[in-house]
Amino acid sequence: MTVETVRMVGPPVDRVDGPLKVTGAAHYPADFSFPNLAHAVLVQSTVAAGRIRRISTRLAESAPGVLAVITHEIAPRLGRGPTTSLGVAPPPPLQDDRILHHGQHIAVVVAETPEQAAAAVRLLEVDYELTEPLLDLDDPQAERITNPSWRDIHRGDAGAALASAEVRVEATYTTATETNNPLGLFATIAAWEGDTLTVHDTTQWPYNVRATLAAAFGVPEDRVRVIAPFIGGAFGAGLRTWPHVVLAALAARWVNRPVKLVLNRAQMFTSVGYRPSSVQHLKIGATHTGELVALDHESIEPLSLEDNYLEGLTRATPLLYECPNVTTRQRQVRLNVACPTWMRGPGEAPGVYALECILDELAYELNMNPLEVRLRNYAETHPQSGLPWTSKGLRACYEQGAERFGWSRRTAEPRSMREGRMLVGLGMASAYYPYFQFPTQARATLDRAGTALVRSAATDIGTGTYTIMTQVSAEVLGLPIDRVRFELGDTTMPPAPQQGGSNLAASLGSAVHAACMKLVQAFLDVVRDDPGSPVQGCSLEDVTVADGRISRADAPERGEEYTDILERHGLAELTADGESAIRQDLDLAPGIFGAKFAEVHIDPDLGLIRVARIVAAIDGGHILNEKTATSQIIGGTVGGIGMALLEETVSDPRTGRIANATFGDYLVPVNADVPDIEVIFVGEAEPLNPLGVKGVGEIAIVGVAPAIANAVFHATGQRIRSLPITLDQLL
Amino acid sequence: MDAENSLGDTVRAAPELAVTLRVNGVHWELNLDARVTLLDALRERLGLTGTKKGCDQGACGACTVLVDGKRVLSCLMLTATCEGRDVLTIEGLSENETLHRVQEAFVRHDGFQCGFCTPGQIMSAVALLSEGRATSDEDIREFMSGNICRCGAYPNIVAAIRDAAGRGGDAGV
Repeated sequence: MTVETVRMVGPPVDRVDGPLKVTGAAHYPADFSFPNLAHAVLVQSTVAAGRIRRISTRLAESAPGVLAVITHEIAPRLGRGPTTSLGVAPPPPLQDDRILHHGQHIAVVVAETPEQAAAAVRLLEVDYELTEPLLDLDDPQAERITNPSWRDIHRGDAGAALASAEVRVEATYTTATETNNPLGLFATIAAWEGDTLTVHDTTQWPYNVRATLAAAFGVPEDRVRVIAPFIGGAFGAGLRTWPHVVLAALAARWVNRPVKLVLNRAQMFTSVGYRPSSVQHLKIGATHTGELVALDHESIEPLSLEDNYLEGLTRATPLLYECPNVTTRQRQVRLNVACPTWMRGPGEAPGVYALECILDELAYELNMNPLEVRLRNYAETHPQSGLPWTSKGLRACYEQGAERFGWSRRTAEPRSMREGRMLVGLGMASAYYPYFQFPTQARATLDRAGTALVRSAATDIGTGTYTIMTQVSAEVLGLPIDRVRFELGDTTMPPAPQQGGSNLAASLGSAVHAACMKLVQAFLDVVRDDPGSPVQGCSLEDVTVADGRISRADAPERGEEYTDILERHGLAELTADGESAIRQDLDLAPGIFGAKFAEVHIDPDLGLIRVARIVAAIDGGHILNEKTATSQIIGGTVGGIGMALLEETVSDPRTGRIANATFGDYLVPVNADVPDIEVIFVGEAEPLNPLGVKGVGEIAIVGVAPAIANAVFHATGQRIRSLPITLDQLL
Repeated sequence: MDAENSLGDTVRAAPELAVTLRVNGVHWELNLDARVTLLDALRERLGLTGTKKGCDQGACGACTVLVDGKRVLSCLMLTATCEGRDVLTIEGLSENETLHRVQEAFVRHDGFQCGFCTPGQIMSAVALLSEGRATSDEDIREFMSGNICRCGAYPNIVAAIRDAAGRGGDAGV
């Protein structure tokens, strides 16, 4: 059977879940209810370090409507969730009296109504014994972690090559703490029936929530059901099962009623991770003609005291360009801060920012076009392993992106371009993100009505998973899209991995593809010995499917409908399961690539920076749906604008309190900040999976901030080496 | 039930009050805690969960509804102040099974991703059209800047509103 999934850019099908989302009928975790639902509100530490000497709950407990106040003094011992492909689980909450960071959960108040719970929180009296918090990356008291993942790279001899390089550039770049801040406040509703727990949760990984809650309460995993059909964004914040999820389930068990817990916006800054700030020292050596001879990249980032996360800031540095001598060093410093986590484009978004800015600095040092420097060091093979790439469309990204953007009209000299009185700057950057694919299962069923139901416990955080999986199912089964229903977000469905690292299109797509192929095979198995069937004895290779019919490939008029087969054999439906398996037979290195071009307009007197235009050229392999994939790239580009110019979580250096934990103070791009964004898809089908996809969610943001930063330099001649770039830095 | 704190003050139960209002054409007589916002009344008391809570501080626009035809942030409005008022939420926008043209344009132009801000975006857009303000892309961007979309669907939101404005004729709700 030939499946028509080889078109490079798939049709711009409207989101299948669109009508639900525009009518308010899509149910996000906080939208569910249970009879007799109680409401929980978290209480968080107002200091960063020390211990709780005394926490007085009497008054809160006696307040109207209050059902319980749970503190570390009375909370049961809770198990820690399993270590997964993403690392350790967060330590369970309320296990002792120690305070490790500002905003740590210290109690949960449960009441009949949210208003009563929130009012009772104000009646808690907490007496802290304070110690001096560690809050500064340079604090000599802080524990330093060297080479945390044993992934530091030493290729050739970067030190010697730098010493003898014809041209050298050194610079230090810093990036601010950013907070994911999905618009949907993270919410958990937990309901126990005996030892069976049902949970609605804001998560990118329902099966991980299931495993973590089972471990916390010592119940078998199959007694926990986690449901998440819609999520109000997450951008990485939903990849771990955070302590508030455990607390919601604990509260429900405590009061023996279903409990709903919704974080408030301030709590979103300390409870579900954030992108850590970074300090990145780079040294680059090149020949007079622009060939790289050495790269040295050291990164330093903060980490919480007793949990783990690594941003991966130097991950792309050895891979993006051909360079014989490369050293990377990752460093972490343990502080009294909440644990950081993945935020869109983790690792690469801030890491490639630094690399692409120093490359721009090198281009000016060489008096060379920045695009030419990148082309001159183009990595035709994977530079670390020497393996050929599975597919690499980066050259096409450069060429088509530059063409669409009009890069050739750039004049080399900084401050040389104007529009009216505005300074005009053009900048560009490369983008790279690793390819990931994880084990996934899916189940496909076709019934007597000719309707397919395909299911897997993945999530759709807004990427378009519902839609593209419906398309894949329809295409493989040969059904119109409106005869296919794809369901996700429920642990009663076959297991799926996290929706993160751009893996899901490949992982889940492969499983759905396999399940649907096996379902067609199941129909052929039924008619193998059926003389009444025109496809009797056919194998998958012998048939085509379209409009609900299986036909002989060599004689398309000889075929029959799926429903005919079910009816003739007295079957209500047929079902098949499929799995995602990454190909192990190819000695090839995969990667996702892009090139970003930005134009900024800067007021020479006020320093006001406006992004005027962005062109993003993306090699994401085969694009399943042009509309949703374009939206992914636009969305990531908007995130990149925020990273470049707006977003910064500000902490008080003495107390560790976050000073701007509101949407009024933590600035994210609004409609008027965002210009026209053009998206181009280039490249070839990725051979590692049957759909040829690479994934586009993460590559969308990588390279945007450096393209803007480089454009700011081109406009002004001022090299601002810290993000976000704000107007005061230009004055 | 009252209780005493360490200062000898009593903790009193919040007063309950009766409010009559119309939501999507339906009359409701509510008895509720005086602190309940219109947003929480819609979501927690009336089961109208289409209106979203993104910040509860009036800064994100996800809770936008129309009160007497004007857009308001329902998280900043106490239900107690809605006596006799007429509230329209996302659930009341489409008639029968037919999408309002703004809803339809949002689907066609992919004016959302996760969809969480979408009800607020659409209610703002509907009001914008009826106010006659969606006359240029620049105006749409400016007047829609009170509605945050963290997924970054802004260019598609502008395209959807531009399209709906062009198709509309009468721009009313």
